[in-house]
Amino acid sequence: MIKVRDLNKSFGRKRVLRGINIDVNDGETLVIIGSSGTGKSVLLKNIVGLVTPDSGSIMIDGAEITSSSADELQEIRKKLGYVFQEAALFDSLTVEENVAFGLRMLTKLNEEEIAKRVTQCLNMVGLENVELLKPSELSGGMKKRAGLARAIAYQPKYIFYDEPTTGLDPIMSDVISDLIIRLRERLQVTSIVVTHDMKSAYKIADRIIMLYKGEVIFTGTPKETRNTDNPIVKQFIEGSGVGPIEIDRTFGLE
Amino acid sequence: MVKENTIKILKARRFAKKAVADMLYSTLESIGQAASMFFEILKWIFRGGISVKNTVSQMVEVGWRSFPIITLTSFFTGMVLALQVGSSTSNLFNEPVYVGTITGFSLVIELGPVLTAIVVTGRVGAAITAELGTMKVTEQLDALYTLGTNPVKYLAVPRFLALFFMLPLLTALANIIGIYGGLVLTVNTWDVSTTTYWSDVLDFMEISTFLHGFIKSFFFALIIAVIACHKGFTTKGGAEGVGRATTSCVMLSMIFILVSDYFLTELLVSLGIK
Repeated sequence: MIKVRDLNKSFGRKRVLRGINIDVNDGETLVIIGSSGTGKSVLLKNIVGLVTPDSGSIMIDGAEITSSSADELQEIRKKLGYVFQEAALFDSLTVEENVAFGLRMLTKLNEEEIAKRVTQCLNMVGLENVELLKPSELSGGMKKRAGLARAIAYQPKYIFYDEPTTGLDPIMSDVISDLIIRLRERLQVTSIVVTHDMKSAYKIADRIIMLYKGEVIFTGTPKETRNTDNPIVKQFIEGSGVGPIEIDRTFGLE
Repeated sequence: MVKENTIKILKARRFAKKAVADMLYSTLESIGQAASMFFEILKWIFRGGISVKNTVSQMVEVGWRSFPIITLTSFFTGMVLALQVGSSTSNLFNEPVYVGTITGFSLVIELGPVLTAIVVTGRVGAAITAELGTMKVTEQLDALYTLGTNPVKYLAVPRFLALFFMLPLLTALANIIGIYGGLVLTVNTWDVSTTTYWSDVLDFMEISTFLHGFIKSFFFALIIAVIACHKGFTTKGGAEGVGRATTSCVMLSMIFILVSDYFLTELLVSLGIK
C-alpha cells in the first residue's frame, strides 16, 4: 500500500504540491487527472524518489521513502516500475538490452532466464521481432510499449504511468489502455496513472483523483467522476474552455 | 524630474547588484556541484563494482578514436616548432642549433599535454556533455534511477576512468609524433642529421622532464571529465539546453586547463620536477 501524507513541493517560488494526501490500495488502479502544470508528474516523481519533497511523508509498504538511505531506496525500487511519458528508452542500447536492463541491475537471474523473460515481456505488450532494433527505429506507440515492457520485466508490485497515451492516435491509445488493464489482471499490479485522456481514465481507473493548483480537489470512482457537480472537475472532463479553471487567454500577446 | 532620475538610478543599481549576486551565487553553486560530483565519482571508484565493459568501451572512444586527430595535430605542431626554432636560431647564430632540444622540451613539458587536452576537450568532453545532456532532457537519467542504477556510477565513472588513463597515453603519443614531425622537418629543411637531432632531443632530457608533462595530463583529464559530466548531468531546457551545456563545457574546460597549467607549472618547478 502507498500512503502519501501532507506532501509539499516547491520549485523556487512556485508551490507545485500543497499538502497532498493519497492512499493507494494494493491491486488498485488510481488515475490522477488535472490540467498541465498542476503537479501530476511531480507527484509521481516524489513517490518513486526521483524528486525530494520539501515536507511530508511517503510510505510504500510501510517503508518511508523520504528518509530512506540509498541502499534502502534501492530495495524499495525493486517494487516500482515507471513508464515515462516519452518512454525514456536508452538510445545506445537495443530494445532487448533496454528491457533486460532492470533484470540485470535488480535481479540475480542468469542470462538465459533474462533472455526468456525479455521475450515474454515483449510478447505481452504485443511487440515481436524488435529485439535488435534501436529505440530510434521504433514508432511512438512501439516506444511506449517497449517502455512498458522494460517497466514490467522485473515484475514490480507497483507501476507508475506518466501520461501513457499522450501523443498517440486514438486506436493506439485504446491499445495501451487495454494493455494496462491486461497487465493488472495478469500480474496483479497496483497502478498509478497520470493522464489527461478521459476516455482512457474511465476505462482503466478503479478510482480517479483530480489535482488542481497542487491540491487534490476530487476523489471518486469513474461513475462518480462522470456525475460530479464539482464545477472544476466538470469543466475538465468536458474539456470546456469556459468555467472556473483559470486559463491564460492572452497567449502572451498582450 | 530629478526625483524620477534618482529613483531610476537607484533601481538600476539594485538590479545590477542583484544580477552580480545571482551570477556569483550560481557560479559558487556550480563549483560546489562539480566538486560534489568529483567526490561521488571517487566514492564509486573506491566502492568498486564498476562495469569493465563500459569502461573499456569509453577507453576505446577516448583513446583509439582520438588517435588520428592527435597524430595529425601533434605532427604538424612538431614541424611548426622545428621550423620556428630553426629559423630563429639561423637568424641569431647563422645556423640552426638546438632545434631538437627546444622542439623536444616544448612538446614534452608544455605543448604535448596542453594541446592534447584541448583537442580531447573538443572531441571527447563535448561529446560526453552532449550525450549525458540529451539523456538528462529525455528523462533517461531518471529511468536509470528507477531501474536501480546510479547514473554517476554507470555513466560518469567509466568516462572519468577512461579520460584519466587515456589522456596521459595520448599525451605520450603526441610527444613522440610531435618530436618525429620535428625530425622530418629538421632533416629536410635545415639539413641537420638524424643523429644530431636525436642527441639534441635526448641529451638534456631527464625522467623528471617527462614526469612534468605526465602529471599535468592527469590533472587535465580530471578537469575535462568532471566538467563534462557535471555539465551533462545539469543540462536543462531541451535541444537548446544541450547546445548551451556543450559550449559551456568546452569553454570552461579550456579556461581551467590553461589557467591551471600555469599554477601546476609553478608547483612542479618548485618541487624540482622540471
